Amino acid sequence: FRFKESLAEDLQSADLVISHAGAGSCLETLEKGKPLIVVINEKLMDNHQLELAKQLHRDGCVLYCNCSTLVETLQSMNLSALKPFPPGQPEKFASFLDKVFGLQ
Amino acid sequence: TGGHTTEILRLLSCLSESYSPRHYVLADSDKMSEAKIRSFEQKRAERFSKSQFSLDRIPRSREVRQSWISSVVTTLYSILYSLPLAYKRKPDLILCNGPGTCVPVCLSAFLLGLLQIKRTIIVYVESICRVETLSLSGKILYYFSDYFIVQWPDLKKKYPKSVYLGRIV
Repeated sequence: FRFKESLAEDLQSADLVISHAGAGSCLETLEKGKPLIVVINEKLMDNHQLELAKQLHRDGCVLYCNCSTLVETLQSMNLSALKPFPPGQPEKFASFLDKVFGLQ
Repeated sequence: TGGHTTEILRLLSCLSESYSPRHYVLADSDKMSEAKIRSFEQKRAERFSKSQFSLDRIPRSREVRQSWISSVVTTLYSILYSLPLAYKRKPDLILCNGPGTCVPVCLSAFLLGLLQIKRTIIVYVESICRVETLSLSGKILYYFSDYFIVQWPDLKKKYPKSVYLGRIV
């Protein structure tokens, strides 16, 4: 399919996700606790997409490769070595704003 | 647009009803955010009875990778729309997270502040995608915002006036 409103169902039933480095795709997948391989296409991509993918890789949360090394990565991957991705904490933001406005 | 909208709605998720009414400003070309916003606000209305919000659109200030000279022109054009909007709403707080649309809105509010018409607190939260470098909106609004929040420690080091709360979306 080209576009779907939400990938939530597909993500829920997947055992492994292979994706481009878009933040939305990466974060949605990691939040559902699914193992993720990020494929970088340096010719097409915006540098800033790469920043998040690199950081997630540094943190051990995703596997990372480019189009030509994908097969090799799939053959040698160790998914159990992937670390879980802790969720963000919007409550910290709410707390911060409350302090700014003296609402605490 | 897209990712920005998702992030900003997450930022709003834990805010109390003191932060009401909420006025959303979107780019005219944005087709998908309105539905996400309405869905968010509908769920919110189920929890808080007096929940209020509105949606306004302004011309899109910049396309991805548009040259900076033409961006200045298109941003100025967007300000023609955002300035009367800021004047009408006179917000106490502007919360934004990086799409080009936020630049004219924040600059309008900043201007109203200089003219002593309304002092708005501008809070900018850089996207979680930005680990090592700021977006163009971020680079501009670092100087115009009251609070500039980053989500990764590298940025806090590079931009010492920023606030680092960890990942908040």
